[in-house]
Amino acid sequence: MASFPKVKSVALRTISTPLILSAVLVVLALVTVAYGSRPFNQTMIDIFVRVILVTGLYIFVGNSGVLSFGHIGFTCMGAYAAAWLTMPPMMKELSFPGLPDWLKALQLPYGPGAVLAGIFAGVFALIFGRILMRLSGIAASIATFAMLAMINTIYANWESVTSATNSVVGIPIVRTIWPYLIGAIAAVFIAWAHAISRHGLALRAARDEPTAALASGIDIPRVRLVAFTLSGAVVGLGGALMAHSIGVVTPDTFYLGLTFITLSMLVVGGIGTLTGAVMGVVLLSLLIQGLRWLERGVPVGESTFALPGGLQEILLGVVMIVILARRPSGLFAREFVWPARLGARRRNSSAATRNVPAGDA
Amino acid sequence: MTRTRLMTGLSALALAVTPMTGALAEDADGNIVVGFATAETGFMQAYDKPAQDAAMIRIEEINAAGGLLGKQIKVVNADTKTDRAEGAKAGLSVLDAGADMVVVSCDYDFGAPAALTAESSGKVSFFLCAESIKAGVQGVGPHSFSASVLAAVQGATMAQWAHEKKGARDFYRLLDTSYVYNKGICDGFDWMLPTLADANLAGEDVFKNDDASIAAQISRIKALPKEPDAIMLCTMMPGAVSAIKQIRAAGINSMILNGSAVDGSYWLSAVPDLSDFYVPVQGSVYGDDPNPDVNAFNALYKEKTGSDPATQYTYPGYVMIDVWAKAVERAGSIDAGAVVAELEKMDGEPTLFGPRTFTPELHHQNKARYLIAEVKDGKPGIVDEWTISEPVPMEALMK
Repeated sequence: MASFPKVKSVALRTISTPLILSAVLVVLALVTVAYGSRPFNQTMIDIFVRVILVTGLYIFVGNSGVLSFGHIGFTCMGAYAAAWLTMPPMMKELSFPGLPDWLKALQLPYGPGAVLAGIFAGVFALIFGRILMRLSGIAASIATFAMLAMINTIYANWESVTSATNSVVGIPIVRTIWPYLIGAIAAVFIAWAHAISRHGLALRAARDEPTAALASGIDIPRVRLVAFTLSGAVVGLGGALMAHSIGVVTPDTFYLGLTFITLSMLVVGGIGTLTGAVMGVVLLSLLIQGLRWLERGVPVGESTFALPGGLQEILLGVVMIVILARRPSGLFAREFVWPARLGARRRNSSAATRNVPAGDA
Repeated sequence: MTRTRLMTGLSALALAVTPMTGALAEDADGNIVVGFATAETGFMQAYDKPAQDAAMIRIEEINAAGGLLGKQIKVVNADTKTDRAEGAKAGLSVLDAGADMVVVSCDYDFGAPAALTAESSGKVSFFLCAESIKAGVQGVGPHSFSASVLAAVQGATMAQWAHEKKGARDFYRLLDTSYVYNKGICDGFDWMLPTLADANLAGEDVFKNDDASIAAQISRIKALPKEPDAIMLCTMMPGAVSAIKQIRAAGINSMILNGSAVDGSYWLSAVPDLSDFYVPVQGSVYGDDPNPDVNAFNALYKEKTGSDPATQYTYPGYVMIDVWAKAVERAGSIDAGAVVAELEKMDGEPTLFGPRTFTPELHHQNKARYLIAEVKDGKPGIVDEWTISEPVPMEALMK
């Protein structure tokens, strides 16, 4: 195979992954709408929000190999930015008296609000990233954790601008599934586009062979910074949509609990692949919901079968351990691709270096 | 191959999950439905369960007496798992199951998501025992109420009572900034203090609920020229126990005032022989309530649940169903608008635990009769009763 057409077809060769993942999400949305139950609809909205968060996390963690404990801080920023932008001015006066007047008077629809909130989080990711991306390995991970603690402390104490630990209400609640579906699909495509871009390829090269990457002239802090900023923006968008899905934000929502659940979804799904990010969320969320359903009780003939309360958390832990023991690189160490292409790649395995296709690590 | 199997598995899972909510969505014609979107698991369960049990006692009483508007009250439940996102789902679940009124978690932070779902469906919602002004018109919206009394009223009650009845003049304000509830108590105290003759603030300080030591704060109290008459301690469990223990261990014998959140005898063994400790309560769980009907309620509660109420936070659940049912009777319908209008007409409506007032501006109590519980030699008991002279004004509540 000549190298010229191959370069041209990087996008084409890998586009099946985001397409298949989007199709899975669309099917889930259609099933939800067809079923017509409001609590189930809300469950699916939660899943889509998590897909956005975990996909955002994957953009940085998956491609750079640096574990970040700090991304939920950007989610927090996105959620509060959405509150600042979309709440009615009267309620903002009560909750955020310290905001500048122009911002207090502004009331955007949730769509533009969420996009701006994502950009806001992205800008802060850029600022933090300028410093953090110079570190590597465990130092970088711990530094991101320190950043999370910092953001949380500021949001939990800056009374006039964030309402401190008070719950902020008055954020318009959006209960139709479509905006969340669009957000999740957008996140998937952003992650894919980044992964096949020059920066994405360079970043994965730096992850796998830092010395060789440096020798090839890759500016590692810079390519990491690009991914960090982009992923900060995506998790910020996720935070904004999360705020609209519940209608309440508090700083403690965006702390260790959410950090660890999103990281575990990514790790169990497959830290190195986009498929792992998306399907990890979908499968683990469905598992959690299934176990909760069993906890609530299932009618079996005359009697009701129910798991003891609290067993859901234990079983979830057991399942995650089993998955990681059996498949250390996660459930989906390979991307979803069209069957024909999979065959072609196998036959042609020497041609496919591990760094070319999207996250095909 | 693997992929196909996975996809099949995925769709099977998706289908398997769907019936879980469908089971709830049965139609409830002929009955009035009260939906409890409260915590059945997680830490909020400790607060929600007793109040919910008390609410069930009132519901059973009403049903036994022929029901409401000639209909029986049916109850549907959904667990919030002490999680905000689950709270929104629980709210939607009970609404889909036909709830005419939605009861939400005790705490404002955890109850708000479910209350917001009720609000956007135009249904009445009641917080089991939230004590923030936002649990009502100012936060959730015009159909939302709280069954308890504002935290600020507790701080104001303790300040005025200590001043009038105990002759306290020098007050020290020690605020635990971890929770909004604590700030509410101190806000009420701050409003009341300047209105008290000769009273002055000897000093103030803050700490966090999870601070292992408040030694620094204590040494600042010890450094005062004179030990304050009263320490207004605005805190809650679990930090309260440690703070009280440290204050007493340091040899500070000032009377300690707190909000209702530290009512109950369950923690007293941790501070042996505690004395001069006072909290306001809506009713007594110690069997010495001046109202014999409250003691009778405690006995009934014990019969139904197997134990006495642990704290006064049991009682708002009973009050809630009581005032709501009265409003429904008076409105002659369960239409949310009509019920809200009747609730807002209540002015000093008598209940087992003191009079209750709702207005279009405030779906909460800014003035209430409180019993004063004293802990003396490690034993709690009711020593007095106090109603603040003026309702706490809006400015102090909105701080």
